[in-house]
Amino acid sequence: MNAFFQLTLAQLRLFVRNRQVLFWTLLFPVFFMVMLGSFLNNGNSISLTGAIIDEDYSTQSRALVESLTRHAAIRFDVEYDKEKAIEELKRGDKQIVVVIPHGYGKSLADYGLVEQFEQFGPEENRTVKVNAYYDETNMTVSQLALAILAQTVDGISKSLANYTPIVSVDAVAVQSLHLKYIDFLVPGIVAMMIMSNNLNGVAGQIASWRERGILRRMQSTTLNASTFIAAQITARLVLNGMQAFIVLLIGDIFFGTQMNGSWWLLILFVVLGTLTFMSIGFIIASLAKSPESAGPIAGFISFPMLFLGGVFFPIQNMPVFLQHIVKLLPISHLTTALRQVMNVGADLSALWTEAALLGCWMVVAFAVSSFTFKWE
Amino acid sequence: MRETARRAPNHPDDAETVIRVDGLVKRYGTFAAVDGVSFTVRRGEIFGLLGPNGAGKTTTMEMMEGLRKPDEGCAIVAGFDTQRDLKKVRQLIGVQLQSTSLFDLLKVKEIMRMYASFYPHSLPVMPLLKEMVLEDKKNDRVKHLSGGQKQRLAIALALVNDPLVVFLDEPTTGLDPQARRTLWDIILNLKAKGKTIVLSTHYMDEAQTLCDRICLMDRGKVIALDTPQNLVNALKSECAIEFRLTGTDDACGACATDVRELLLSVKNVKRVDLHNDVCVLYTDHLQETLTDWIALANAKRLRFADLRTRTATLEDVFIRMTGRSLSE
Repeated sequence: MNAFFQLTLAQLRLFVRNRQVLFWTLLFPVFFMVMLGSFLNNGNSISLTGAIIDEDYSTQSRALVESLTRHAAIRFDVEYDKEKAIEELKRGDKQIVVVIPHGYGKSLADYGLVEQFEQFGPEENRTVKVNAYYDETNMTVSQLALAILAQTVDGISKSLANYTPIVSVDAVAVQSLHLKYIDFLVPGIVAMMIMSNNLNGVAGQIASWRERGILRRMQSTTLNASTFIAAQITARLVLNGMQAFIVLLIGDIFFGTQMNGSWWLLILFVVLGTLTFMSIGFIIASLAKSPESAGPIAGFISFPMLFLGGVFFPIQNMPVFLQHIVKLLPISHLTTALRQVMNVGADLSALWTEAALLGCWMVVAFAVSSFTFKWE
Repeated sequence: MRETARRAPNHPDDAETVIRVDGLVKRYGTFAAVDGVSFTVRRGEIFGLLGPNGAGKTTTMEMMEGLRKPDEGCAIVAGFDTQRDLKKVRQLIGVQLQSTSLFDLLKVKEIMRMYASFYPHSLPVMPLLKEMVLEDKKNDRVKHLSGGQKQRLAIALALVNDPLVVFLDEPTTGLDPQARRTLWDIILNLKAKGKTIVLSTHYMDEAQTLCDRICLMDRGKVIALDTPQNLVNALKSECAIEFRLTGTDDACGACATDVRELLLSVKNVKRVDLHNDVCVLYTDHLQETLTDWIALANAKRLRFADLRTRTATLEDVFIRMTGRSLSE
């Protein structure tokens, strides 16, 4: 017990005293957060812009324009030239173009309103048309924009029909549209930190300790390997917890990131992620013949995960064949879980697949690492 | 080799034997790093493993420490087999490994406490540091210690469990002469306190100064085992005459084989060693050989410099037995 305490203490002292490593391991995530968080879209909403062309210009149409431009998740520019707006849509500068045709206001007096997409062609004349143009090649964004449009138009439609909803939409789903990119980013950054600290950190450190004979010297004492490993795990859990906390704190203070879920669940996933990536780090340390080769091997594994695992970009934006591969990676489950907890406030019942898959990774990696671990 | 071991005064009564090594073999592929090594270490002695780099000293020590598994043979420490009762052996031994680095960022007292915590029974840390002349360094980080201080810390760590046997693998390699002498005093002090010490070195002066008995190793085998004095005495009353040939006034005397022939013809010379221009003549009759050599050199108009005479050293013993120099 004393040995476990002393080893944990020693490891924490090594972390804290190695100022340079401490600085850079913290600077890296914070740098990413500031860069991507403020630079990509001024720290504001998911970047959706649309154009509204009001050809009717009646009281009713202005009310629609008003309610659309008020929407937080999408920025609507009021424009007058339809051709120019369509051109912008094609270039990708706009994600949606809404056209309110002539007679919209007049028709509203008599009819209910149904939004109608140009795609489907004109429908029966008794409904009032609002035309929406969108880019088929960018479906995810378009779907989101269309959903927002439909939601707004639906609201107007229902109020006109004096319709009282019997089934109300879960507020959470609507709220998720109000998320900023920084809210998406911060859980990803925490996941990235957990991965790189443990995977690269453990692999590099253990390989170097082995090379320098430090492990061998410990092996010549009555110290058990299990005590050594337990101390390593404890120290790294403390370190990762602290680092995750600092990143979350910075996110909260400077960017106002949301934390909608349970802290305990967040901690659970931080622990689970730390254990999983530590075990993988131990495997790499055993594979590496020298500390010099441990770095590149760890990089070979962690670098693709950094870009594929949904740390910076949503997995849904990737090609389908990649998504299948990506969904096998432990980092994807960690980012998804952290994001669901922080952004949506999901509880364990919603995240049990992520927890189970991460758990599988951990068990398998731990089994392999304890099988391959060697002092020398 | 076994014969050598048996011939040596190596028959202690069992109570005095702390380590028994029997027929140790360690192979790496087809190469035998240690090739059938046997000896015993007595309680309270400093036992030296002397040999050039690659002789198998470190591998032999590591098998005695239970850090490497022998392919053949066994090592028994205080009655416990290093393979079967490893845990018991580890409580009884203290190890200073060749070129171990310690945690640079930990303080001296922290690293001492940490190693002390690894053992069920350990000594108080501060008196040990005082003994190793490290008391005023207790709050310094390891990376700020000098080479000698680091080595003393490594020895302090080896003593933290109050071991019966202390293994020191080339403790003074790379240290300046002053630091080496300090370390020698410390090692002799340990012996005075009753520790049994197994020490490996490739410095013959170190072996000669410190060791009660020396096991001379070469290419994985024991080539001699005895007290330093007996080893040197084995060369009988042999003396060495050493000088450097600087040239010749005679145009014909340059070729090495000619020089060797010539030197062997000097009165009473038993053997000749030639390393570049350095010549060593071994003789039983110093005065006669020296007189004859000077006369010969004058007659042949050979010029030499740096002449000195000495009695045989362990280095000479090693050269005699292997035909090679220790430092090669």
